[in-house]
Amino acid sequence: MAAKIRNCFAVGLLASSIAFVGSAFALAAKDTLVVGFTNEATTLDPNKVAGTADRFFLYQMFELLVQPDRDGKPMPWLAESWNVVEENGKTRIDVTLRPGVRFHNGDPLTSEDFEYSFQRESDPKVSRVASRHRKVERFEVIDDRRFSIHFSEPDGNYVASFLHLAAVPKKYILKVGEEGFNKAPIGTGPWKFVSRKQGDELRLALNEDYWNKDHRPTVKNLVIKVIPEELTRVAAFKSGEVDWIDNVPLPLVQEFKSMKGVTTLSVNGGNNLYFDFPQHNTKSPFHDVRVRQAVAMGFDMDAIIKSVLYGQGRRYTGVGTSSPAYDPSIKPYAYDPVKAKELLAAAGYPNGFDTPCYNMTTQREPSIKEVGEAVYAYLQTIGVRCQIRNVEYGAWVDLIRRNSNKLDGITTNMSAQGIPADPGNTWASSTLHSYQPNEGFGAYSHTSDAKADEMVEKLQVTMEPEKRDVLIKEIARYKYQNLLGGIPTYEPVMTMAWRDNVDFKPWPFPGYWRAFQEIGFKN
Amino acid sequence: MWTYILKRLLHGLFSIIGASLLIFVITRLTGDPVAMLLPPEATEEMVRQMRATLGLDRPIWEQYLIFASHALQGDLGMSYRWEMPALTLLLDRLPATIQLASAGLLFSISVAVPLGVLSAVYRGSWIDRVGKTLAMAGQAMPNFWVGLILILVFSVSLGWLPAYGSGSFRHLILPAIALGSYPVAAQTRIVRSSMLDVLDSDYIKMGRILGASESVLVWKYAFRNAAVPLITVLGVYFAAMLGGTFVVEVIFAWPGVGRTVVEAVFARDFPVVQAGVLFTSVVFVTVNLLVDLSYGVIDPRARVNV
Repeated sequence: MAAKIRNCFAVGLLASSIAFVGSAFALAAKDTLVVGFTNEATTLDPNKVAGTADRFFLYQMFELLVQPDRDGKPMPWLAESWNVVEENGKTRIDVTLRPGVRFHNGDPLTSEDFEYSFQRESDPKVSRVASRHRKVERFEVIDDRRFSIHFSEPDGNYVASFLHLAAVPKKYILKVGEEGFNKAPIGTGPWKFVSRKQGDELRLALNEDYWNKDHRPTVKNLVIKVIPEELTRVAAFKSGEVDWIDNVPLPLVQEFKSMKGVTTLSVNGGNNLYFDFPQHNTKSPFHDVRVRQAVAMGFDMDAIIKSVLYGQGRRYTGVGTSSPAYDPSIKPYAYDPVKAKELLAAAGYPNGFDTPCYNMTTQREPSIKEVGEAVYAYLQTIGVRCQIRNVEYGAWVDLIRRNSNKLDGITTNMSAQGIPADPGNTWASSTLHSYQPNEGFGAYSHTSDAKADEMVEKLQVTMEPEKRDVLIKEIARYKYQNLLGGIPTYEPVMTMAWRDNVDFKPWPFPGYWRAFQEIGFKN
Repeated sequence: MWTYILKRLLHGLFSIIGASLLIFVITRLTGDPVAMLLPPEATEEMVRQMRATLGLDRPIWEQYLIFASHALQGDLGMSYRWEMPALTLLLDRLPATIQLASAGLLFSISVAVPLGVLSAVYRGSWIDRVGKTLAMAGQAMPNFWVGLILILVFSVSLGWLPAYGSGSFRHLILPAIALGSYPVAAQTRIVRSSMLDVLDSDYIKMGRILGASESVLVWKYAFRNAAVPLITVLGVYFAAMLGGTFVVEVIFAWPGVGRTVVEAVFARDFPVVQAGVLFTSVVFVTVNLLVDLSYGVIDPRARVNV
């Protein structure tokens, strides 16, 4: 209710009646750029990254070995070159570091720093993402600029995730300790840490000695303000207190796009939404593919995107649209209530059936609840009679985690494939492969299909990007035809806005559009 | 007097233990935080390890005893989310919350006291009616709405004050008004009714007969006596504001305790939630005791001989 009131308020007052306070722009000092983020990082240590929001802060200061360019193609970054090598039945990745890179304190970047980064990140006592490295057998330092990562078995996700590792300063951390590093982190990136006030702001200064002369910021200071309330963020932008904001509220996107003196960019936010059901349960109606098809045809997602999301969502069919393996020839199931009823009847439900329909709420996707309500209302009309149960995010995680075995109906669901999207990890660990806890498979999967398992496992050990793309397309088609791993609905669109006097070139990864690799004021 | 204080402290201690026990059990009933801490590819073994590291694999009574014994030594555990001591996290944000709550209370008193006194003195007049309307409007408008309207008018339209953030007196004005507008109604009503009682008493009438000026009678003799019920309410409001400024903190991006605790609830960051509740109960108990003791200072008739 509060959200609805706020939306009305937004549309009714902020959107229509407020003149843009142009004079306030002049207040911004030209050597300091202020940006407003919705979410805040909980850690400034790249080996301890826990959520997407951590990346927004971290990758201003830290850098990876490889990262996609602005078009999504992998490019060597701190690695000057890297190769996947198959030798004697074993796989390894050989890396040569770029010469002349230094940390913010002047220490040169060496292979030992990456060895240390690997050691910290693969230690479950230090890192919560240690499981990323479970297939790494050993890390071998060859010399200051060369090292090899040896695998016990090929790990496709390692390549798809741009080799995971960020450069952390070994000497510095050993000198100042974990707490010292947390209080004053240093990396190799374009921005140097100045100060942080939790819940409020992160202050950064330009790294004057930054190695990448082609892609670097041109302003001296950057202040990241944390402004969780969307209308306050908009107000701060309109009043001239901040120069750049993320997550323009959905009802205001069109207004921002036509606003004078403002540039906007609407991008894939990196999340992938779908509806799931217990396909694995032979007693569930959803075990029958015809019921799943009926559900897929039972709601008009295009209309929901247009009316509930103000158009700010993109249809997808299993693979994120930013993936090189995205196959546009696979079209979403069209809304067809007549066919949906026929399919239900053929499956033995001529009068439909009752089912629990779980509707999750989360701050991460503010409109997900309204989308769920709309979809469940549509399903009533084809005979899938939803008993709607609203669940808060924490309770929902319990509901869908397979070891709880609680899911007995339909649920809203989401599983981020990242930017650029690669579904390999989420299909294996989370959503598509059948539940095999000791192997790290299917922690949130309510699907059980031997062929899907086989294909996903093959993808897991495929490291060459081209071969991965072919396999991903095959799996996507099989998944789509059999409606396994749920019904994909949409990818949320995130809109950023900045003033015309700001020169901003967005980089999609690793900061999810928010790493300010190239930003400054126009002359 | 000392026996009374000791008794009240003991009662307070029971309340704090009760609150901590309750929140301890409730948080654990909501499910497993480990599912939200580890990525999906974590194996069952990794989940088991993490649960053991956090002590969540022990029986709940044992977890509580460990928590209580550590709490007595000032250790309220490490935040799962922030990986820093929960107490440090709250203490870091406490000054901002105290600042906001004090300013909010100051705003509400500075509106409610004159409004209440004038409404009582000019009972039934237009001043009384305007006062009533203003006070009720404050109570009827939700905090977040008042906050957004203030931002809209004073930040976006007029450009006088910052829309968000903390760090200066200018940053404090709008959130303090948003926070303080709600209790104005209750405080005004209390001051008004209490003043009406006092103004009707014999010693005020006697004062008038003796020729004391009306302003001296109202502010020196009547208001001092009428203030006692207000102080009770102020204490409770202040305590509530210290623990419950969440909405205003979010609207104004104010880095306070309320926001931290509510975010911790959503993230199932048990140590921070527990620390937050413990902190709020200690504040409530202490403020209530201080309020009760202050009666004796203000009104000698209220001094206890227990």
